[in-house]
Amino acid sequence: MADTHKTHHVKGLQHQFDDMQQQQESATIGMWMFLVQEIMFFGGLFTAYLVYRSRYPMAFAAGSNHLDAFWGGLNTLVLIVSSLTMALTVYYAQKSNRAMQVVMILLTMFFGLVFLGVKVIEYSDKYNHGLIPVTGWNKKTSKQVVALPFETKAEAKETHDSHKEKPYVNPNGDFQWNYGGEDLVMLAKEKGWLTEAEKIGYFDPITKEFDPKRFENKVRIFYWLYFAMTGLHALHMVVGIIIMTWLLWKAWQGSFSAEYYSPVEISGLYWHFVDIVWIFLFPLLYLLGRHFLH
Amino acid sequence: MEKVEVRAEQTKPNYLNNGYSVWSWLFTKDHKRIAIMYLISISVIFLIGGIYAAGIRLELLTPQSDLFETGTYNKVFTHHGIIMVFLFLIPAIPAVLGNFLIPIMIGARDLAFPRINLLSLYIYWLGSAIILWALLQGGVDTGWTFYTPYSTTFSNTYVVATGLGIFINGFSSILTGLNFIVTIHTMRAPGMTWFRLPLFVWAHYATSLVMILGTPVVAITILLVALERIARIGIFDPTIGGDPILFQHLFWFYSHPAVYIMILPSMGVISELISNFSRKRIFGYEFIAFSSIAIAVFGFLVWGHHMFVSGQSIYAGLVFSILTMIVAVPSAIKVFNWTATLYKGQVSYDTPMLYALGFIGLFLIGGLTGLFLGAMGMNVHLTDTYFVVAHFHYVMVGGTVLGYLGGLHYWWPKMTGKLYSEFWGKISAMLVFIGFNLTFFPQFILGYMGMPRRYAAYPPELQVLNIFSTAGASVLGVGLLLPVIYLVHSLVWGKKAPDNPWLLPGLEWRTSSPPPTENFEQTPVVTWEAYDFSDENGLDVEKVKKELATV
Ligand SMILES: [Cu+2]
Repeated sequence: MADTHKTHHVKGLQHQFDDMQQQQESATIGMWMFLVQEIMFFGGLFTAYLVYRSRYPMAFAAGSNHLDAFWGGLNTLVLIVSSLTMALTVYYAQKSNRAMQVVMILLTMFFGLVFLGVKVIEYSDKYNHGLIPVTGWNKKTSKQVVALPFETKAEAKETHDSHKEKPYVNPNGDFQWNYGGEDLVMLAKEKGWLTEAEKIGYFDPITKEFDPKRFENKVRIFYWLYFAMTGLHALHMVVGIIIMTWLLWKAWQGSFSAEYYSPVEISGLYWHFVDIVWIFLFPLLYLLGRHFLH
Repeated sequence: MEKVEVRAEQTKPNYLNNGYSVWSWLFTKDHKRIAIMYLISISVIFLIGGIYAAGIRLELLTPQSDLFETGTYNKVFTHHGIIMVFLFLIPAIPAVLGNFLIPIMIGARDLAFPRINLLSLYIYWLGSAIILWALLQGGVDTGWTFYTPYSTTFSNTYVVATGLGIFINGFSSILTGLNFIVTIHTMRAPGMTWFRLPLFVWAHYATSLVMILGTPVVAITILLVALERIARIGIFDPTIGGDPILFQHLFWFYSHPAVYIMILPSMGVISELISNFSRKRIFGYEFIAFSSIAIAVFGFLVWGHHMFVSGQSIYAGLVFSILTMIVAVPSAIKVFNWTATLYKGQVSYDTPMLYALGFIGLFLIGGLTGLFLGAMGMNVHLTDTYFVVAHFHYVMVGGTVLGYLGGLHYWWPKMTGKLYSEFWGKISAMLVFIGFNLTFFPQFILGYMGMPRRYAAYPPELQVLNIFSTAGASVLGVGLLLPVIYLVHSLVWGKKAPDNPWLLPGLEWRTSSPPPTENFEQTPVVTWEAYDFSDENGLDVEKVKKELATV
C-alpha cells in the first residue's frame, strides 16, 4: 500500500486512486450524489406542481385532458424498454461481450430518440393549438377551425362546424383555451368539490359569474408546468443520448470488460434516473384528474 | 552543515515549483493549485464587495440621501449582497481551505475527481464573470433576495443576466460538494477511520450535504424567475394566477441552509484552532461532529422564519419558530464544547487563535440575536430593520470571515511555505475585532429603534449611531487590508516555514511545507486519534523542535 503511487499502471486507473475498486466505488458514489442533486433540481418543479394542483384541481384536470395519454403512454413504454436495454448493456459489459454491448447501446439510443420524436409530435400539436403558455410562441393564424389535439382540419370541420363553435383565431400567437371548462366547474361547484382558491379563482369578483378568462389563466399554469417539467426532462434525455454516443465509441473500442466497466454502470444510473423521472411525470401530467371529465 | 540542509530543502519538489507556466496552472488537476487560484479569485471578489460596502456606509454617514440617488443606492446594496453572498461567502472556506486541506488531512493524493474540481473553478469564473459583466452594464436593484413580483415584473435592471451568473455559480458549489463527499467516503488513508477525521473534515462533509441538497433548488428557482421575466408564463405573477410567495418558499429553502454552507466550514476551522492552540484534545469530539450533521439536516426545516410577515399561516409560522429554536441547540453544543476545550488547556495566543476567540464571542452574539429573530412576535417588530442586518453580519462576518481569516493564517505556512509577520497578524486580528463590533453593534440598536434596511435616507435622530457604524467600518477596512499587505509581503520576504511550525499532530503537518504534488512521499498510515497531543502518535517531536529552532 505504501508505495502505490509510483508503481503499477492498471489500464483506466487514475493516479489519485490506489486500485480499481476504490476508483469504481468513488465513481458510483459520485453519480449517486449527482442524482440526489438532480432530485432536488426537479423537486422545485414538483413542489410548484403540488402547490398549484392542490389549488386549482379543475383547471388542471381540464388541461391534463388535452394531453394525449396515448402518446404519453407510448413514451412510458419506450422508456421502460430502454431501461431494459441499458441494464443489459451493463450486463454485457460485465461479461466483456463487446458486440452485444454495442447492440444494446444502439438500441438504448434508438429508444431515446423515439421518445424525443414523440415529444416533438406532442409539442408541435400544442403549438398548433395555442397551448404553449408564452405569448407569441404559438402558431399565428387569423382564422382556423377549432381542432382538438391531433385532429386534422378536415375532421375538425366535420365534427365541430356543425356545433357552431367559434373559430380558432390567434393572430398574436397567444395562449388560448378553447376547450371549455364551465360545465366541469359548475358540476364541481354543485357537488362542493371546489377548493377555496377555485371559489375565488374562476369567478368574476363582481358578477360572481364563471369567467372563462380567469379559468384560462389557471389552465395556463398547468401548461407552463407541463412544458417546464417535460422540457427539463427532455433536456436530460438529450444529455443522456450524448453520453450514450460517447459510451458507444468507448464500447466499440472495447474499453469495457469485467475488470473495468464503471463508466457503463454510472451512465446506466443516469439513464435509469431520467426514466424514473418520466415515470412520475406521466401520471401527474397525463392521467391525474382525467376521470372528472369522463 | 545546517546550511547545506536548508539549501537541500529549498530545491525539494513541491506543488509550487512543479511547473511555472500559465498552462501548468490553468490545466492543473492538483487540488492545491486549484485552491490557490480560488484564493486569488475570491480575494479580488471580496475587495469588490468591500468597495460596495464602503459605498453603503458612506451614504449612511448623513441622514439625507446625498452620495447616491436612491435608485443607485438600491443597486449598491444589491451588488454588495450578491457579490458577498454568492461569490465570496459560499465558496470561500470550502473552495480555498477545504480544497487545499481535505485530501491532505485524510492522507489522500488528491480529491476523488480532480478534473471536476478544475471544472468547478472554471464554472465559478464563468458565473462570476457574467455577474460582474451584468453589474457593469447597469446592475440589479432587487436586493440579493430577488423577491417577486418586483424582480419578475417591475424591475428594469439586469435580473436575468445576474440570475444566470448565480445559476451557473451554483453548479460550481454542487460539484465541490459532490467531490468532497466522495473523497471523504473513499479516499481516506489506511487507519483514518471516520472518528479519527479532523473536525474540519466533518464540517465540510455536512456542508457538502447542504450544497448538494439545497443549491439545485435555488438553481431551478432562478430559472423560473428568468422564464417569468422573458416569457411571462405567470408562475409568480398574481395577476394571472401565479403566487409570489411560492418564490419566497423556494428561495429560502435554499438560502436558509446556504447560511450553513457559510458557517459550518468556519466552525470546522474554529474546532481545529481551538483544540490545537489549547494543545488539548477537543472536548466532546463526537458531539461536535454530529452537531454539524444535525445543523445540516435541521437547517432545511426552518426556512419559514424569513416569511413570518409574508402572509404564511400563523400555524406554519409557529412550527418554523419552534424549529428555529431547535436548530440553535447543535450550534450551542459547539460553543460549549469549544469553551470547555479551552479550560485547563495550554492556550497560546497566536494570530489564528485570536481570530478563533473572536469568532466565539461574535458568533455567540450572532446566534443569540438569531433566536430573538426566530421568535415570531419579536420578529414582527424587527423584520426588515437594521437589527436583521446586524444579526446576519455577526454570523457572516463575525463567523465566516473570521473563521476564514483564522484558517488562512493558520495554514498559510503550509500553503505557501512562508511565515507571515506575527506582529502585524495580531494587530490586524484586533483591528478586525474592534472595527467589526464598532460597525455592527450600533446597528442592533438602530434596528431596535426602527431604522429600516435598504433605505438611503433615515431620520436625523439616528445619525450618531450611524456615524459610529461608518467609523467602525473604516477600522474594519484597515484590519482587512493589512493581511493583504503582510501576507503578500511574506511570499517574497517572509522566513521559510518549517514543516510543522505549530508543533501539531495533524496529518497536514507531517508533510513538507509547501506539500509535494502528491501530498505525501508515502501514503501515511494513521495510528493515532485526532487531536492526540501525547508523544506516542508517531510524530518526531525532537526533530520538529530542532527544525523550529533554525527558523
Ligand atoms: Cu434563516
